[in-house]
Amino acid sequence: MAAYVIRRLLASLLILLAATFLMYTLVSLSGDPLSEFTQVSDPDQKALLIQGRIDALNLDQPFIVQYFTWLGGAVGCIVPGMACDLGVNLNNQPVTALLADAFPTTLQLVLAATVLSIILGVSIGIISAIRQYSAFDYTITFVAFLFFSLPIFWVAVLLKEFGAIRINNWLSEPSVTIPVAFVMGAFSALFFSAIIGGTRKRRVLVGAVAAAGGVAVFMLLVASGWFTNPGMGPGLVTIGALAGAVGATLLFTNLENRRVLFISLATAVVGVVIAYSATPLLEDPSWLTLFGLGFLATGIGVGIAAIFGDIDRAAAIRASIVTSVLLGLLVFMDKTISSFAAYSEAVNGRPIATIGSKTPNFEGTFWETTLDTMTHLALPTIAIMLISFAGYSRYSRASMLEVMNADYVRTARAKGLTERTVVLRHAFRNAMIPIATLAALDFGAVIGGAIITETVFGWKGMGVLFTSALNKFDTNQIMGVFIVTAVAVLIFNLIADISYAILDPRIRLT
Amino acid sequence: MSLANSAMEPGLSNDPEREFTIEARTQVQMVRSSFFRHRGAMIGLGALVFVVVIAYTSIGFWGIPGWWGLDFSSTGTLVNEGKPTLDLIPWLDGDGLSIGAHPFGQDNIGRDYFALTMRGTQVSLMVAFVIGILSTFIGTVAGAISGYYGGKSEAVIMRFTDLLLTIPLLIVAAVVGNGFGDSGPFFLAVVISLLIWTSLARLVRGEFLSLREKEFVEAARAMGASSTRIIFRHMLPNAIGTIIVSATLTIAAAILIEAALSYLGYGVRAPDTSLGLLISTYQTAFSTRPWLFWYPGIFIVVIALSVNFIGDGLRDAFDPRQTRVRA
Amino acid sequence: MDTEILSVSDLTVGFPTEDGLVTAVRGVTYTLKEREVLAIVGESGSGKSVSAMALMGLLPKTARITGSIQYRGEEVLEMSPKRYREIRGQNIAMIFQDPMTSMNPVYTVGDQLAEAYRSHHRVERKVALGKAVEMLDRVGIPQAKDRARSYPHEFSGGMRQRAMIAMAIINSPDIIIADEPTTALDVTVQAQILETLIEVKDSVDAAVILITHDLGVVAGMAHRVLVMYAGRGVERAEVSDIYTRPRMPYTAGLLGSIPALDSAGGRLHPIGGAPPSLIRLPPGCPFSPRCPLVTERCQTEEPELLATDLPHHEVACHNWQQVAAAADPTLLFRTEAVEA
Repeated sequence: MAAYVIRRLLASLLILLAATFLMYTLVSLSGDPLSEFTQVSDPDQKALLIQGRIDALNLDQPFIVQYFTWLGGAVGCIVPGMACDLGVNLNNQPVTALLADAFPTTLQLVLAATVLSIILGVSIGIISAIRQYSAFDYTITFVAFLFFSLPIFWVAVLLKEFGAIRINNWLSEPSVTIPVAFVMGAFSALFFSAIIGGTRKRRVLVGAVAAAGGVAVFMLLVASGWFTNPGMGPGLVTIGALAGAVGATLLFTNLENRRVLFISLATAVVGVVIAYSATPLLEDPSWLTLFGLGFLATGIGVGIAAIFGDIDRAAAIRASIVTSVLLGLLVFMDKTISSFAAYSEAVNGRPIATIGSKTPNFEGTFWETTLDTMTHLALPTIAIMLISFAGYSRYSRASMLEVMNADYVRTARAKGLTERTVVLRHAFRNAMIPIATLAALDFGAVIGGAIITETVFGWKGMGVLFTSALNKFDTNQIMGVFIVTAVAVLIFNLIADISYAILDPRIRLT
Repeated sequence: MSLANSAMEPGLSNDPEREFTIEARTQVQMVRSSFFRHRGAMIGLGALVFVVVIAYTSIGFWGIPGWWGLDFSSTGTLVNEGKPTLDLIPWLDGDGLSIGAHPFGQDNIGRDYFALTMRGTQVSLMVAFVIGILSTFIGTVAGAISGYYGGKSEAVIMRFTDLLLTIPLLIVAAVVGNGFGDSGPFFLAVVISLLIWTSLARLVRGEFLSLREKEFVEAARAMGASSTRIIFRHMLPNAIGTIIVSATLTIAAAILIEAALSYLGYGVRAPDTSLGLLISTYQTAFSTRPWLFWYPGIFIVVIALSVNFIGDGLRDAFDPRQTRVRA
Repeated sequence: MDTEILSVSDLTVGFPTEDGLVTAVRGVTYTLKEREVLAIVGESGSGKSVSAMALMGLLPKTARITGSIQYRGEEVLEMSPKRYREIRGQNIAMIFQDPMTSMNPVYTVGDQLAEAYRSHHRVERKVALGKAVEMLDRVGIPQAKDRARSYPHEFSGGMRQRAMIAMAIINSPDIIIADEPTTALDVTVQAQILETLIEVKDSVDAAVILITHDLGVVAGMAHRVLVMYAGRGVERAEVSDIYTRPRMPYTAGLLGSIPALDSAGGRLHPIGGAPPSLIRLPPGCPFSPRCPLVTERCQTEEPELLATDLPHHEVACHNWQQVAAAADPTLLFRTEAVEA
């Protein structure tokens, strides 16, 4: 394995070399870095500016020399120990500093969206495959095709209008108007009838009940002023955690397994107790505090599972970990949402943001800052997710269908295993292999693809770095963005191949 | 011993004379009938044909005039503040079904938006189809050569595809479009084609690798058939399904890529127009003149969606394992 | 050879397809006693595999099944899914045709066998693995302990099928259904696998339903034989009767088409024609287009499986007496002077 990795890294280096050369040539040919100065009227000043730039960027040297000068500095970024120098841009700023600033921003933008797309897309794809040719399947297929065909910049503008402006307007004075109630009812109906499934009659019934229930709950929320001052409170969190415990049990064994069920419930209760007795600690915590508490709760849960698990120890441990994670997420959400009132006031009543990655000069508690980040992430994440999830759901559906028809799935059924075990332990485990590879490749490509999203939502990341450089024919800055993107692609390609070997014992890397 | 063995040749006649006439269908017939049964693909095909016909006949192209009176570059006075005159819901206004002088409205300097959208559609379609066809051609040739001959040519081609895959498409296309954008949309289409053939090449290579081991290829070689003949008459027809499906999906992706590039300003440029450029030009007008924003977007979505459905229908048609019976 | 444990009556299985309803099984009836070996013989498409899958409840949801399957008095077709799962793998086990694809490639062989055990017995994983090793040993896999930690792709075809047999017997079932267990294997390995199957069946006191198209396989193993054609049973007898005194022209044709090792040269004598389509079956006996004894009655009235002159020997043919009268029934097909 180590030999393979080293060989691949060397090969990647060569490819990178060739790619940088091609790119450098292309960029140099595509425009003149001095064109910016053609507008300057004063001939003396013009000559001064032009000479200054020529000196700073060695523009009087032959093209090959320019490339190798750049390459010399760039090599330092790959080889540890050497200084990393990607040159300076047209404003004399070092490119590496600009990248260091922009990269985390871009990463923040795409990471959440991609991870969520994968989780959502794969789950829906699998359910579609299991319920092939059902109404759910056909609907999801159509929706996936639709989203797949949407131009992201068009969707983004629509989101800004309907997702931000209109919702912000509504949040300042929440009321239940007919169109709002209709939308709520429709969503609730579609959601529940999709989950419950079954005959058409049953689905219509479920949909109707869900619509009525959804509207009723919604009206209750508005009347109680929940939208101005939201929160979940210990009560709801506890209920959520217990439900999560039940779900975790279902996932790893079945509900008749009382042992695992009680262990999961116990973990949930322990977690809730810890979370709410540590309230003063959680007023304005640091990430360290949060992780510490999280590990404590999970550790206790795992301990309970290990001691009392008996035969089902493995399943119990897994279930308790899942429960703790769920509980942690619930508590996190509760605290974040609770700071909404204070936050909304601080941003003048327009909580959902349309521009930028955070509110400038914002000071607040940990939760308020987190909420700030999340409201700024909301729209871009939705925009990316809409399109990305469609691809994953189609791909997982196809992969799962192929696996479900395999002989070994039939053997698993013939052994008398429950359908849940057959689907999760046998089918999914195999269907996951190509999906994991796809996800790794996608991660690599996603950084380069964020250009449009950043442009539309005004995030100051690598995309903006790229477009501004392009407009001025700023070679070094363009190359800087390029090399980061290319390295990401190469690394993730390698990860994709390695993960294939890890997941599939038939593949041995030579 | 699969269950599919239980079904014998379809189309067996029920002749009481006990003469069993087996009507075997050719592959082309089976694919065609399966494709026509795919509702989504049929609707997509209809929509696409409709859009293509309207786009090219309404305002004409290459000097051939169309049936729509106005063209996309002449300005004019604003009629009714430039609002669309298309009236599809007769009972709402009580005026009856009408198209009016400017069904899609006008932009802020009085140009007819229907003509603009049609021109945009023409350009976007042209770019997408050129990319689809050209990249499919390159990818097929590259994949066939590397899959069939193996050895050095395969190594060279595969390393080259690795190289191209490292380079993010949007970035390179943007650079090219930025620098050479004035060479026109056709040039842009060619450049993009040169960059996105790699995934099809991989697929074709994979198919050829597995076909190469099949007995009928060995048999052909044993009978002295030349390599070209084997590739074209024996192997390519078996890979045609993958190729056609990939081509359609490339076209759908190409529409969106071109739109994205033009939106950023690195694609089609004024005075010509494309759907992406229209959206980019008028996105700030969304609150005041929403029609300028809706129409080009809707057209992009319709075209991409139709092509995607056609691709899906083709994929199902070429897959012999499809059964469409509900539980 | 005592109590009856399985009774299949008039089993019918249909699949709706785009071209119409395919009735793969059209009224099959047979019984199975403890420790008995019943061979179900037929060409591809005769419905033999489908009837076995119906027994196990492994057919897709779209399949329409009617008739009755009684396992030790319980009606299988009316069982709850939960009860079905209890029986599957524990009382009735199945071995499939292609060992290459029948095992999950990402889990070790030992794990998969242990899983089969643990799904019916609540034990620790270690205990189940021990049982798995014991079973692998029993089917003759050398170094069973190490082999249990290997993956399926590291086994040869024959060994994989042995492992599948081990998986089938790990819960000591009453009935083992072997669906063409040797078809995908080399000829030399086939004999070994069959031997293993016989040994193993005796060691757990199981009955076997052996599904095959190979009459050679049947001779060494079976007690009774059911011959199927176009979804129906057409002859049912004890094994020696089938070979020496067949009463169905189809059976005679099958026997006659086996190339004899001692005949020097000469022609092969297949049964001319092809099996019928199961979507639009013509009326009358489905074998009539290919039968040398066909009469007008054969083309209008489909024969039932009825008793013959021999005990425990039923046949579905109007003209079985002619077959019985012939000294060598296989010659019936040769007189037809079958052209290729």
